[in-house]
Amino acid sequence: MTAQDARATGFGAAVRQAIITAGGPLKALPWDINGTDRTRHAARTAAVVSVAALLATSLPFLANDYFVGFGFSLLVWIALTESWIVISGMTGYISLGHVVFVGIGAYVAASAWHTLPIGIILPLAGLAAAALASLVGYPCLRVRGPYFVILTFGLSELIKYIVINIESALAVSGRVLFGAPGIDTLYLIVLGLAWASVMIALTVRESRFGSGLRAIRENEEAAETIGIPIAKFKAAAFVLSSIIPGMVGALLIMRTTYFAPLEAFNPQTSVLIVTMAVIGGSDRPLGPILGVVFLVVLQELLWANLPQLYMIIVGILLIFIVVWMPGGIYGRLQQIIATVRR
Amino acid sequence: MTKQLTTIAMALGLAAIGFGGAQAADPVRIGFSLPITGIFAPAAPSQQKAYELWRDQVNAKGGLDVAGTKRPVEFVSYDDQSDPGQAAKIYEKLIAQDKVDLLLGPWGTPHHFAVAGVLERFKFPMVGDTAASVQLRDLKPGYIWFPTSALPDEQGKQLPLLLKSLNVKTVAITTAQHPFALENKKFIVEGLKANGIDIVSNADYPLDIRDMTALISSMKQANPDAELSLSMTGDSVLYTRQSMELGFKPRVQFVLVGPAATFFTGIFGDKANGLLTMGHWSPSQKKWPKAKAFFDAYVAKYKEPPDYLDSALSFEACEITEQAVAKAGLDHEKLRQVISTDTFDTIDGPVKFNGVVNATTPTMFLQYQNGVFEIVWPKSEATASVITK
Amino acid sequence: MSTQLLIAALVAGSVYALIALGLNLIYGTMRLLNVAHGEVVMIGAYVAYWALSLLSVGPLVSALAAMPLAAALGAIIYFGLFRKAMQSSEFMERIEGNSLLVFFGVSIILQNATSLLFTPNQRGYRYQDEIVHVIGAVVPVNKLIVLAIAAAVCIAAVLFFRLSTLGLAIKALIQQREAAALVGIPLTRIELTSLCLGFAIAGLAGVLVSMTEEISPFMGFPLTVTAFVVVILGGLGNVLGSLIGGLLLGVLETFGVALTAPSYRSIMIYSVFIAVLLLRPQGLLGAQRART
Repeated sequence: MTAQDARATGFGAAVRQAIITAGGPLKALPWDINGTDRTRHAARTAAVVSVAALLATSLPFLANDYFVGFGFSLLVWIALTESWIVISGMTGYISLGHVVFVGIGAYVAASAWHTLPIGIILPLAGLAAAALASLVGYPCLRVRGPYFVILTFGLSELIKYIVINIESALAVSGRVLFGAPGIDTLYLIVLGLAWASVMIALTVRESRFGSGLRAIRENEEAAETIGIPIAKFKAAAFVLSSIIPGMVGALLIMRTTYFAPLEAFNPQTSVLIVTMAVIGGSDRPLGPILGVVFLVVLQELLWANLPQLYMIIVGILLIFIVVWMPGGIYGRLQQIIATVRR
Repeated sequence: MTKQLTTIAMALGLAAIGFGGAQAADPVRIGFSLPITGIFAPAAPSQQKAYELWRDQVNAKGGLDVAGTKRPVEFVSYDDQSDPGQAAKIYEKLIAQDKVDLLLGPWGTPHHFAVAGVLERFKFPMVGDTAASVQLRDLKPGYIWFPTSALPDEQGKQLPLLLKSLNVKTVAITTAQHPFALENKKFIVEGLKANGIDIVSNADYPLDIRDMTALISSMKQANPDAELSLSMTGDSVLYTRQSMELGFKPRVQFVLVGPAATFFTGIFGDKANGLLTMGHWSPSQKKWPKAKAFFDAYVAKYKEPPDYLDSALSFEACEITEQAVAKAGLDHEKLRQVISTDTFDTIDGPVKFNGVVNATTPTMFLQYQNGVFEIVWPKSEATASVITK
Repeated sequence: MSTQLLIAALVAGSVYALIALGLNLIYGTMRLLNVAHGEVVMIGAYVAYWALSLLSVGPLVSALAAMPLAAALGAIIYFGLFRKAMQSSEFMERIEGNSLLVFFGVSIILQNATSLLFTPNQRGYRYQDEIVHVIGAVVPVNKLIVLAIAAAVCIAAVLFFRLSTLGLAIKALIQQREAAALVGIPLTRIELTSLCLGFAIAGLAGVLVSMTEEISPFMGFPLTVTAFVVVILGGLGNVLGSLIGGLLLGVLETFGVALTAPSYRSIMIYSVFIAVLLLRPQGLLGAQRART
C-alpha cells in the first residue's frame, strides 16, 4: 500500500501520517514524496545489487582463499542483517535472539549430515528455522517494546539449553562434519543467500505488506484501525526473517565442520547483527550492507595488532552512532547527498 | 595498514631477489590465532605464554634451525574472537595472504576442527595442541597431529583402574553439559561398569550453573567412596569451592578440567591438595629432563606456574615443530613426512604419532600435592603415589 | 538438608536482588535498559580484588570506595551520553532500544579495557572462608556477610522508597512521569540520582560477589542476564518487585534443581522467565505499572 492509496481510502489524518512517516525519517528526499519514484529507485537498487552479486561470483576464480574466506564472512553478515531488518527494521520489534535461527539451521545440518545431500540439507535448515519462527512468532509478537527485546534473547537461550539437553540425552558430544564442501562452494551459496536477502528486503519494503509493517512500527493501534491484519503481518515478517538465517547456520557449520550448541547458539551473534544493522542504518535495505562492510573492514585493519582496541572502537562507534547519528552511516550519506543536490 | 603494505612490499622485494638467495637473517614467520577477546579469552594466556617462551628461547639460541641454517622466529598472530569460523578465516589468511612459513594451533577443540579443513586444502602441516576429543581420531590423517594423550576413550579405561587400585567401590558423577565432559562421562561409565564399580549418583548440569548446593547435597547423602566431577573451568571452581563449604569430602576426588590451570591453585592453594585431575605432564618427571627446565623457565619469565595441560601441550607442539624443521626444512611435504614418522624428544618425553594422535605417551592422571601436580597413574609413569583422605 | 538449601537460596537471591535493584531503578526512572550493569558489578569486584591484594584493604572497607567510583561512572555516562540524547525526540521514541545499544557499547568498552589493563585471567581471593554451623546447615562466614549486607541494603531500599522524600519522589517519577514533572519534582536531578544510586548498588554487589566467586573481565554478561531475569519476574520498573524476583530466582536455582534435576536448571529458569513475559509482562507482583 503506497501513501497515495492510504489517502484515497480516506481514513483519519493520524493514520495517514503514520503511513507516510513509515517511509522512514528521510522523507525530505525527492523519491520519498512520490511512490512511483520510490519504486523506481528500489528497482534501480535491485538491479545494482544483482549486477554486483553477478560480478562477485567471479571472486573464487580471481582471488586466493583468503579473499574468498573474507568475502564469505562479509556475505554471511549481510545475509543475517538483511534478514533481520525484515522484522526489526520494518516493524520496530527488535529481535535480540536471531542467533536461534542460525543455531537451529546449524543443528539440522549437523544432524542430517552424512544422511542427506547438501541440496536437501540447506532448504531443510531454512524450513526448520521457519517452523520455529511460526511456532513462537504469534505469542511472542504480542509482547512489545523492551519486553520483546528481552523475550527474544531469553527464547534463544532457552532453545540453546533445550538443544544442549537433547544432545546430552542422546550422548552426542559435538558433531563433526566430515567431507564438507570447500570455501569456494560455500562462498557461492552464501552469495546467493545474501543476494536473496537483499531482494527480499527490497521487495517487502516496496510491497503493500511492507507498508503495513511500517505502519505497525509507527502506530500499531492506528494500523489495526485501517484494517491491517497486524498479527498476521508481524508473524509473516518474523517467519520471513528466519529462513535465510537458518540456511546461513547450515553453511557456517559446514565452514567450521564442527557443531557444538554453545558455539552455534552464541548470543554474541544476535548482538552483532543488531550492531551492524544500527551502525549502517537499519531503515533501508542498503544500510546494513554499509554497516557490515564498515565493521568487517575495520576489523581487518585492527585485529592484527589491537584486538581489544578493535572491540573498544566498536563500542565507541556504536554509542556515537546511536546518540549522534540516528540514521546510521546510510542515513548520514543520504543527508550529505541531499544537501549537495540542494 | 602500513604494516600490511610493508609486508606486501617485502614479499614483492623478496620475489624480485628470488627465493633461492634467502638470507640467513630472514625470519621464519609462524602464524596462529588465539581468542584474545570473547568468551574464551581467559583461556588464551597460558597458551600464548608457552608459545612466546619457546620463541624467546629459540631466538636466544641464535634462531630456529632450518635444516642447518639458523633463522630468527617471528610470530604473526590474530584474535579469533572465540569464533571457530573466524579461526578458519585467519588460517586461510595466514597461509594464502601472509604466506607464513609455519603454523601453530588455535585454542580449543572446535577451533582445531575448523582449521583442520583449511590445512588439508592447502596441504599445510601443523602440530595442534589444545584439543581433545575422540572424534579427533576420525580426522583424515595428513596435515594435523595432536600430542595430547588425554583422550576420553583412554581416560575411560584408565580412570576406573586407578579407582580400583584405591579400593573404590562406589562413585558419584557430576557432568557439565559440554562436549568434552560428556564424552568422558560416556567412556568412564562404561569403564566403571566393566570394573564392577557402582555409580550411586549421576547428574548433568548446564555450564551456566551458579549454585551447586542441591547437587552436592544429594551426592553427600549418597556418600560415595569417590566423586568424579567432569567439569570444565568455571564450574570446576564452583564445584570445588562448594564441596569444601558443604563438607563433602569423599576419599577420592577427581576434577576433569580446571585444577591444572594456573588460576585454580592460585585460588585454592593447599586446599586443593589431593585433587586428582587429567593431564600427562609434570615437572617432577625425572625421565624427561626437559620438563623441569620448561617449568623453571616459565616460572622465571611469568612469575606463575604453567597450565599443566594447555601450556605444556602448546610448548610440546612448538618443540615437535622445531625438531621437524631442523631435519626437513620448511618444505611442507618433507615436514609432513618427518612429523608423521619421526619420534620427538619433548618436555613430555618421546612423542611419536600414529595417524593424527600421540602413540607413545600413555594416558595419565595427576594429583595436586603441596604446590605441584604429580603423576600418580599409571604406576609405570608415577612420580609420586596417590594420597587419599 | 532443607535449611542448607534455604540459606543457599537466600544468599544467591539477595545478591540477585541487589544487582536487579539497581538495574530496575535505572529502567524505572529513565526507561534505560542498562545491559552494562554486569560490567559495573565487575568493576566493583576488581576494586575489592586490587584493594585486598595491593593494599591489604578488606572488601568491607573497599566497598566504600567501590560505590562512589561506580556512581561516578554513572554520572559520567549520564552527562556524557544521555542528557543530550534524551532531549532529542528521535532518541526518546525508541529509548529502550537505543539505550540498550548505547549500554551495549559501554559494556564492550568496559570489558575490553579491563582485559587490556588487567589481563583476561580469572582471579580470586580467599576471605573469611571458615565454615560455621547455622541451624543444621554449614555455611562459610563470607556468605553470611554477603547475605547480611545484601539483605540490609534491600531492606534499606524498601524503607527509602516508603519513607524518604527523595525515595517518594523517585517512586512518583517511576509511576507518573508527566505528573511528577508537573508537581515540581526536578526530573534531571532525580534521574541523575537514580542512575548514580543504581550504579553504586551494582558496585557494592560486585564487592560482595568477589568475596565468594572468582572474577574476570567477562564475568558481567551472565550477571546482566540474571538481573534481567529477576527484573522480569518482579516487574520491569517495579523496584520492590525485583527483591521478590531475586529471591524467587534463588529458590528456583536451589529447590527447583533439588526437586527436578540439575540438567534442567537453565531450561527451568528461562521457561519461567518466558512464561512471565508472555502471560504477565507487568511481573508476577501485579499491575503497579501499566505496560509500556
